[in-house]
Amino acid sequence: MDIAIDTPTRTFIEVTEVWVPEGDRLVLAKGEYGTLSAFEEASRATSFAKGEGLPGKAWSEARPVVLKAFDGSYFKRTEAAAEAGLTSAVAIPVFDGAALMAVLVVLCGDDGERTGAIEVWAEKDGLLMLDDGYYGAAKHFEWVSQHTHFPRGQGLPGGVWAARTPILMRDLGSGYRFIRAESAGKAGLTTGLGLPIPTPSGTDYVLTLLSARGTPIARRFEIWDARAAKRGAKGGAVLADGICAREGALWDEDSPREARVWQGPIGQVLGTGLPVVETGAGIAAGYTSMVALPLYGADGLAHVVAWYL
Amino acid sequence: MQKLVVIGAGMASGRALEHLIEADPTAYDITLFNAEPRGNYNRIMLSPVLSGEKSFEEIVTHDEDWYAVHGITTRFGEKVVSIDRDRKVVIGENGEVPYDKLVFGTGSSAFIIPCPGHDLPGVVAFRDLEDTTAMSEASATPGARAVVIGGGLLGLEAAAGLRLRGMEVTVLHLAGHLMERQLDPSAGYLLQKDLERRGITVLTEASTKEIYGNGKVEGVRLVDGTDLPADIVVMAVGIRPQVQLAKDSGLAVGRAIHVDAQMVTSDPDIYAVGECVEFEGNVFGLVAPLYDQAKVLAKTLLGQDDTFVVKQLSTKLKVTGCDLFSAGDFADGDTREDIVFRDPARGVYKRLVIEGDKLVGAVMYGDTADSNWFFGLIKDGADIAEMRDTLIFGPAFQGGAQADPLAAVAALPDDAEICGCNGVCKGDIVAAIKAGATDLGAVKATTKASASCGTCTGLVEQVLAVTLGDDFKMPAAQPMCGCTDLTHEDVRRLIKASELKSMPAVWQELGWKTKDGCHVCRPALNFYLLADWPLDYKDDLQSRFINERKHANIQKDGTFSVMPRMWGGITTPDELRAIADAADKYGVPTVKVTGGQRIDLLGVKGEDLPAIWKDLNDAGMVSGQAYSKGLRTVKTCVGTDHCRFGTQDSTGLGIKLEKALWGSWTPHKVKLAVSGCPRNCAEATCKDVGVICVDSGYQVGVAGAAGMDVKETERLADVKTEEEVLDYTRAFIQLYRENAKYLDRPYKWVAKVGLDWVKQQVVEDVANRQALVDRFELSQSIYRKDPWAEHVAREQPRYAPIANLVQEAAE
Repeated sequence: MDIAIDTPTRTFIEVTEVWVPEGDRLVLAKGEYGTLSAFEEASRATSFAKGEGLPGKAWSEARPVVLKAFDGSYFKRTEAAAEAGLTSAVAIPVFDGAALMAVLVVLCGDDGERTGAIEVWAEKDGLLMLDDGYYGAAKHFEWVSQHTHFPRGQGLPGGVWAARTPILMRDLGSGYRFIRAESAGKAGLTTGLGLPIPTPSGTDYVLTLLSARGTPIARRFEIWDARAAKRGAKGGAVLADGICAREGALWDEDSPREARVWQGPIGQVLGTGLPVVETGAGIAAGYTSMVALPLYGADGLAHVVAWYL
Repeated sequence: MQKLVVIGAGMASGRALEHLIEADPTAYDITLFNAEPRGNYNRIMLSPVLSGEKSFEEIVTHDEDWYAVHGITTRFGEKVVSIDRDRKVVIGENGEVPYDKLVFGTGSSAFIIPCPGHDLPGVVAFRDLEDTTAMSEASATPGARAVVIGGGLLGLEAAAGLRLRGMEVTVLHLAGHLMERQLDPSAGYLLQKDLERRGITVLTEASTKEIYGNGKVEGVRLVDGTDLPADIVVMAVGIRPQVQLAKDSGLAVGRAIHVDAQMVTSDPDIYAVGECVEFEGNVFGLVAPLYDQAKVLAKTLLGQDDTFVVKQLSTKLKVTGCDLFSAGDFADGDTREDIVFRDPARGVYKRLVIEGDKLVGAVMYGDTADSNWFFGLIKDGADIAEMRDTLIFGPAFQGGAQADPLAAVAALPDDAEICGCNGVCKGDIVAAIKAGATDLGAVKATTKASASCGTCTGLVEQVLAVTLGDDFKMPAAQPMCGCTDLTHEDVRRLIKASELKSMPAVWQELGWKTKDGCHVCRPALNFYLLADWPLDYKDDLQSRFINERKHANIQKDGTFSVMPRMWGGITTPDELRAIADAADKYGVPTVKVTGGQRIDLLGVKGEDLPAIWKDLNDAGMVSGQAYSKGLRTVKTCVGTDHCRFGTQDSTGLGIKLEKALWGSWTPHKVKLAVSGCPRNCAEATCKDVGVICVDSGYQVGVAGAAGMDVKETERLADVKTEEEVLDYTRAFIQLYRENAKYLDRPYKWVAKVGLDWVKQQVVEDVANRQALVDRFELSQSIYRKDPWAEHVAREQPRYAPIANLVQEAAE
């Protein structure tokens, strides 16, 4: 497995935040800032109205938003971000039907070395087109992606779109020859997680996190299936797929792992319906941080995806 | 230490070795042969490896370390050439290995259809890593195309994987629906819909004629002439146990290697396990019984007692996002009862099959949460009498959910057209309701929905009920039958609005309460579907009444009547002679001239039907379709050719009308007449369509009756030319075909929709009239044909000698 190399490296995503609606504003519920305490402080002192700043824009536009330059933009924490070396951000609104549950914001630093991709694909004229994406140093891959579209069922974005379920792909650049494979291989992208992002407008969006060996988005990925159509009255979730640099394959066809409501971080997501960001001890396989994101379907909470570093 | 040799490092033998080593690691000195150049891996997970959702490393069950740690000598990539049972040695390509005990785990190989081109490079099976790699490589070319032959588990997993890799994929399946051994037509429909949503083309009833290509695969040609270009062809039509080595070794072999319940073959020192075994007439392809066998084999090898028992199996498909489950036996039977639950909005279908007080089968699509519970009930043969009424809702039933009669309408998207006359969509109606139109009258006034022919009234009321909830009281409507709460009109409208093109599509999307309809709804649905989708829907003979199945009217003594068509009531001496000859030849007791100016032969024996049809066909006559819900006859008088009072060529016009309309299916029978003058000798004024010729042209009347009810026709239009008569008639009949309730004669239908609306559609709106004529002609391109000739052509081989056995024996 390409991601089974577990050496300390700089991470692609430096900051992860969960903003939740409180009255008519979004307030910070949780955040993982690493060593960027000044930016953390600035963030904790901030809240956003609908349409305000990046989280507020994701709320008002009701779709994932990619922002690649803060200067002169609607981004509110530009100064603190610049000091922290953060240059780009992606905001992912979490809707349950028409109700906003939270906005997950990830921020990245651009130093010409860190490679990875966070992409937003949107349906247009029966095809999935790149809405926008942040690629770090993977400039060629960015260019290729901007000139690629996916029909239903094809490639990671097209597969997620057609199957309406998250998908975890291995070996993006070598074993798996997807349409952008050659460029992905050259960029060192190995593992891809694709997520369906429902929006109140009904427009289909797909978010992909493409992780590179040297500067991984995560070293462990999990997809939990929490659909009522799968779990019935017993509730909770079952691990549908997962891969870990430390523990190898996490899926088990014969006796898959299960998560109960409120039990552990995945259980917290199931219980609250909100994203979870955890740091410190007690995280699976000895990782120091994890993000778990709920994905909603027509019948409520459908999946939870989690990534660990 | 005893020497154990295992041939084949598959999943069954691998599991047996695990059990053996776990119980007693020192019991045997083990040598493992494998023709593949690798050890045991989880073969059933090759599908996600193909799709890129797993890496091969993840599915390796036993790696080199595992074999080394457990002291197993591996001879991978080496085929076993033979076995010398006298000397008790296995002879491999690289030398002999002696054994005390020998295990066959040779598995199975893919069955390859021996059609022309099956051995071309580019034709692959889906059995091992090499096949998977070949498919991955084929997908590397942008725009590459794959044809998968076989719509079973493996074929569909291959198709989904290849699609995810970026290929254009077509699945060919011989049966009428996918996975027909595990799924019924309703679940098969949902699966097909799911795969089509992924961009996979599915062709059912597709029979492969040949694979063609110059030096490599270039395409597949079907028996019906369809040509499918392909860069790779995947054959996934089944497996065949690998038993040649066992046969050559002199072991007892039937369909596979015979074993007893301890996995012992006909040689007490030789065992077999997995897909290569036959036990009590059963062979095995799913993994669960293989693992059971492995457990038994390990115990047998250790001298312990255990017995292999064949258990019920369940099926899962490894295509991400497709949730299906199938277990037990779900064939129809007189002693069986079905419980069906459908949720069109969620794409859910559940069917339980009950026999006595036991659950014997279950099929589920879209919601498999309770599948294990149902599977347990099947396996245990549990008594379900106490929970029969609520069984379908699963173990957590709390006294709640019932099938919602509004589910079909609730599931419609906003752009589904509810009112075809005025082009009003569901979204328009919902918007009007939200803006204050809270009853039918207000919706009619603001949107015009149901303001014209009125057949969509029931649906508009349902949209009101869905939108307003308890604030709207639904008027009671007569449902089509016990299978649904929807009326005929609702169903017709929804078939159009949701583009439902098959019987399973209607059952599922409209939430049918039964698994496949009943004798009331099936003939109606069959007509609605063939009328609305002549090119897509295939007429289902099983959904027709016996007369239409037999192409003849059954009589009270079980014989049939046969009536050839006589165009416009005109015949010839040759035709009359042929009819007389047929009557003599087949001993027809009664020959009758009918009210529709035809000659009916009554009392023909069922077995003589094809022969008498053929004789009449040979004399140039076709079926008069006197049995059909379709055009019966066009009665005429002699007109200007002979009659002193005739104003036009009524006979000629009658022949033209009959030649245009024959073969068309209609909601009920349709009778026409053309009278040459107002004296009306052809009795045109009590027909479904009656034309009276006058000096100035033609008076076209419709909606007459002369049966249980007697009613004069109403004037549709006065026209000047025969061409106009033909156009108006075809347009009227097409309007009737598209809108009427099944088994409503035209006069009943016109009474419901109003003659003014019919006139507006057929007479006033010229473009619409032409569109109706065009749609009628499109349908006639399929149905204007003689069912007798078709039947004779199809069944002719049954009457021919099968083979010249004397000559074959001599050769």
